[in-house]
Amino acid sequence: MEENKEIADLGYGDATLLWMLKYHRCVECLVGVDIAAQPFEWGGGRLSPGVGGFIIPRELDLTITLYRGSAVQKDSRLRGFDLITCIELIEHLDSEDLAKFPEVVFGYFSPGMVVISTPNSEFNPLFPASTFRNPDHRFEWDRKQFQTWALDVGKLYSYSVEFTGVGDPPAGAEHVGYCTQIGVFQKNIAKATGSSISEPEEHVYEVVYRTSYPSLQQRKYFRFTLSIEVVKAVDLMKSRFLRGLRKKEGDRVVPLGRCTPQHGLTEAQRAEIEQSPKPYSVGENFYVPLERLIIYPKVNHLVAGNMEKLRTVLAEGLRLNQDQTAVQVELVDYNTQHLFDEHLVSPVLES
Amino acid sequence: MSGRARVRARGMARSPSAAEPGRTSAPPSPSPWPPSVDTGDNEASSTSGFVGTSRMSQKCEDSLSSGNARCTFIERGGKIRRDFMDLAVCTREKLAHVRDCKRGSSGVPVKLVTNLFRLDLPQDWQLYQYHVAYVPDLESRRLRIALLYSHKELSNKTKAFDGVILFLSQKLEEKVTELSGETPRGETVKITVTLTRELPASSPVCTQVFNIIFRKILKKLAMYQIGRNFYKPSEPVEIPQHKLSLWPGFAISVSQFESSLLFTADVSYKILRNETVLEFMTRIYQETDTSCFTQTCEKQLLGLIVLTRYNNKTYRIDDIDWSVKPTHTFQKRDGTEITYVDYYKQQYDITLSDLNQPVLVSLLKSKRNDNTEARVAHLIPELCFLTGLTRQATSDFQLMKAVAEETRLSPLGRQQHLARLADDIQRNKDARFELETWGLHFGCQMSLTGRVLPSEKILMQDHVCQPASAAEWSKDMRNCKILSARSLTKWLIVCSHRDENVTEDFLHCLRRAGSAVGFNVDYPKIMKVQENPAAFLSVLQKHVDPHVQLVMCILPSNQKSYYDCIKKYLSCVFPVPSQCVLARTLTRQGMMMSIATKIAMQMACKLGGELWAVEIPLKSLMVVGIDVCKHEFSKGMVVVGFVASINPGITRWFSRCTLQRTTTDVADCLKVFMTGALNRWYKQNHALPARIIVYRDGVGDGQLKTLIEYEVPQLLSSVTEASSNTSTKLSVIVVRKKCLLRFFMELNRSVQNPPLGTVVDSEATRPEWYDFYLISQTASRGTVTPTHYNVIYDNNGLKPDHMQRLTFKLCHVYYNWPGLISIPAPCQYAHKLTFLVAQSIHKEPSLELANSLFYL
Repeated sequence: MEENKEIADLGYGDATLLWMLKYHRCVECLVGVDIAAQPFEWGGGRLSPGVGGFIIPRELDLTITLYRGSAVQKDSRLRGFDLITCIELIEHLDSEDLAKFPEVVFGYFSPGMVVISTPNSEFNPLFPASTFRNPDHRFEWDRKQFQTWALDVGKLYSYSVEFTGVGDPPAGAEHVGYCTQIGVFQKNIAKATGSSISEPEEHVYEVVYRTSYPSLQQRKYFRFTLSIEVVKAVDLMKSRFLRGLRKKEGDRVVPLGRCTPQHGLTEAQRAEIEQSPKPYSVGENFYVPLERLIIYPKVNHLVAGNMEKLRTVLAEGLRLNQDQTAVQVELVDYNTQHLFDEHLVSPVLES
Repeated sequence: MSGRARVRARGMARSPSAAEPGRTSAPPSPSPWPPSVDTGDNEASSTSGFVGTSRMSQKCEDSLSSGNARCTFIERGGKIRRDFMDLAVCTREKLAHVRDCKRGSSGVPVKLVTNLFRLDLPQDWQLYQYHVAYVPDLESRRLRIALLYSHKELSNKTKAFDGVILFLSQKLEEKVTELSGETPRGETVKITVTLTRELPASSPVCTQVFNIIFRKILKKLAMYQIGRNFYKPSEPVEIPQHKLSLWPGFAISVSQFESSLLFTADVSYKILRNETVLEFMTRIYQETDTSCFTQTCEKQLLGLIVLTRYNNKTYRIDDIDWSVKPTHTFQKRDGTEITYVDYYKQQYDITLSDLNQPVLVSLLKSKRNDNTEARVAHLIPELCFLTGLTRQATSDFQLMKAVAEETRLSPLGRQQHLARLADDIQRNKDARFELETWGLHFGCQMSLTGRVLPSEKILMQDHVCQPASAAEWSKDMRNCKILSARSLTKWLIVCSHRDENVTEDFLHCLRRAGSAVGFNVDYPKIMKVQENPAAFLSVLQKHVDPHVQLVMCILPSNQKSYYDCIKKYLSCVFPVPSQCVLARTLTRQGMMMSIATKIAMQMACKLGGELWAVEIPLKSLMVVGIDVCKHEFSKGMVVVGFVASINPGITRWFSRCTLQRTTTDVADCLKVFMTGALNRWYKQNHALPARIIVYRDGVGDGQLKTLIEYEVPQLLSSVTEASSNTSTKLSVIVVRKKCLLRFFMELNRSVQNPPLGTVVDSEATRPEWYDFYLISQTASRGTVTPTHYNVIYDNNGLKPDHMQRLTFKLCHVYYNWPGLISIPAPCQYAHKLTFLVAQSIHKEPSLELANSLFYL
């Protein structure tokens, strides 16, 4: 899974597979193709980013595109993917289309990996009705038929194949094999060679839906996410600072004890943070040195340890001190504030 | 393609299964439904005309779901929007004097722009309602929809379908249409589509369908539905300092107004907090004693609405289970056991960082109305975000200021947002297509004519003042004597040792200010105490005796416990009017005299004094205000406040307040309260009032029917019992401060708030009601929200014009503010009373205080 950045699902149906794939962090491009693709009745449905996706953006970009089209039509936008899945698709193809299918998927699209699943007809006697599982099926293969076809295709387009399946047979009928058989095709040659062949762009599929996800690659989401992480760290330090013992050092007030959160960090991380420059207050303001903030694991991960990046990004959204070495916030303990201080400024006098 | 392999491979089955004995658990799992954000509604309304206790209103919808496609139609019972239920309550037809015309006449006409848009339909437009049956029956709604939509007869028609009822704008050829379809498993299903009704555009069912159509359209404009409203995540306003983002959006509604079908849209902001429940708990952990950590967490979190990171759903936190950890297992729907950690890793590629966090428990509402055991969802705090604002956050002045600054929109800003929405709807290809196929035409923004009522004179003791601005007349009142005041001769001041000097200075000002307005304040006994609530309380216990007229406490800090314990003692245990003042407010330079004047006036009221009056043309009129407020702690408890005027000049008030289990019980106490008020009036005036006008505030959506069926009869029976030979007339008016409607006045190619006293009683009103809008407050920086008045019962038979003017007059006599307020004074008094009881004293205040404004 980890190296699959671009994935296409041919015959995506109700998009459940695409929906499951969209959660994977490594995926950057998801494409669905279905002959019966319809625009969504209600916006993007479950393929759209969702509210949570805006609050915690993904690390990597993700675009999802749905096309109306057939698995036996060539469209250059699907070439060179990492993975193409065809779940319960081939049995719906008539013999003419089935003949074209390998040429399009393996020959033309030529992804790094192909996963094809189809019913195993040997399993059928276990069902009450002994016809095809779906009247639209043109054929249902036994294991031998599928494997022969798959091995031939693999040989022709230079993919190695492994077979597996889902749906274990009941006890006593182990000989029939899985309910659904799966062929996993791995391309033999390195992927890079595909790009050298230049073929004309062919756009046959019709786009029915497209969305892109907010991600940390986009400046505004990155800035907001980083600012929020910093504010969270600062708030926790401020609350410890206000509750702990302090002493005056020149014009600064500094904490006497530790000023790290008690929770959510390992002992080693806490120790490292304690070694860094301490937060301090001057007058009504509280300052946390960037050198301290950058040690916080989440902050560190976001800026990859780059202090300059931390400084410039924070300067856009938060207030820094004059020489831009610390974040500045007001030293107010919000928790003890209460509304009725405002009696005399609000239109209504109270109490 | 067959879904079977997938179903097997992914372990999805539909029936929930028990996770632990005695408890059913369904983790938030891949839902078979299209994702919807159902929600808690917690938006900061972008209003600024806060008069009254100015807090951002924070309200959670009781119902978690007001789903999108999930919305079911009227016939299936259940989830019909509650505000639409109110529209079906036709009260006007019973009121003969307004059946033909409910418009007033006085005042100067003013041209207003509204946030209403015309929706036009062809003359003979009809909606066709079909019933859709499946044989064999299918449980999955998604499957039902997919099968029906796959048919050519229907796929190219515009439709609304919830799985059972189908609406079409074009009739099918046959009354009964037989179709067949196949499930992914290959079963053949017979689908019978039967025409059940043909509905005219004016039907309430059509209104419901129009609302569904517009929800669909807004989603197509890339907006997200959260609660009932729609928000644009692409243009967030970010406030990183407070870990908040605000999504701009709209509250929308389509409904039948006085003469036509109209679309309403008002700008709304959704507050999203970039803080997980785990982080919130961590903060509590750090800031409180370990011993009361779990307690504090529960107090702060229970009842809040959280949003899960992965599936776009919202849940209410009903409990926290400290015994369950992410490393524990639960049973998936297919029966296999898995730990929470593994589940989230496999399903959503999310790694949990804290393996010791507890789980949040949310009771799930059953989708069907059967009596199956309530299901619960276990949620991981690390994966849940808080939505809206916690109580703690709303009391954070800095935060609220930051939010208000972003959400407060000028009339022009609001108008620009509206224009953009209208433009988007008209330009978007999908939206236009949707409207066209239904035969709807989205028209222009509506203008109408309102009236500005004449301004009121303020009657002082020996002076009649015509304020320069009705918004605030404290300057005009300077050096005027108040109507009446009792001398304050025996009273106490309690303050901390540290505040002794401040108190002395303040006392000096207070006495000066008092004598300037005709309120004599003698020198009090001053008690100095330690800085803690218990010390304050013990001094009160020791030194307050029955001769003490009033107690003033100078509070060293704004900790709620000071205020609460003082108010509790002096309102319930030993009833004496009390005045709390924050020491900090007394140190404001240059403001001392104006602060002292305000406090002097407030104290005069608490002793039963009268500040000012307006002319009341009706000779024997009692006005009543009723408000209902949620209890601070006890869920399901409400506080009902009742305030009635007890003299013809409407300057003196009687009050009652009680705590009750639910709002439906409100009626029970009203009869007692009303009778009490009538007795009080009789004692004072030796006759009963000729007329009573009741203003009822705190009415939720969908409660109108209850009001008419239970509350009005209770009030009536009290009145008829009291006045067996004379006949006292009664009117009941429902007051609503929150409404979607906005009015703007066009001026020099820009728009601004309409002038004070603007009344709208046509076009934007409802045909089935005797209602009007009144703007009686200023919004200095934002857009003013008109107050909606709905006269639901009226045998006074006052002309609409008189009713409107009387209501306007009553907005002038709230003694806590020398100016106009957004609702009639009795409502604001009732609100103040319920707020005090709900937030601080949590008990019925003593009856001995009933004749004074002790709750100011």
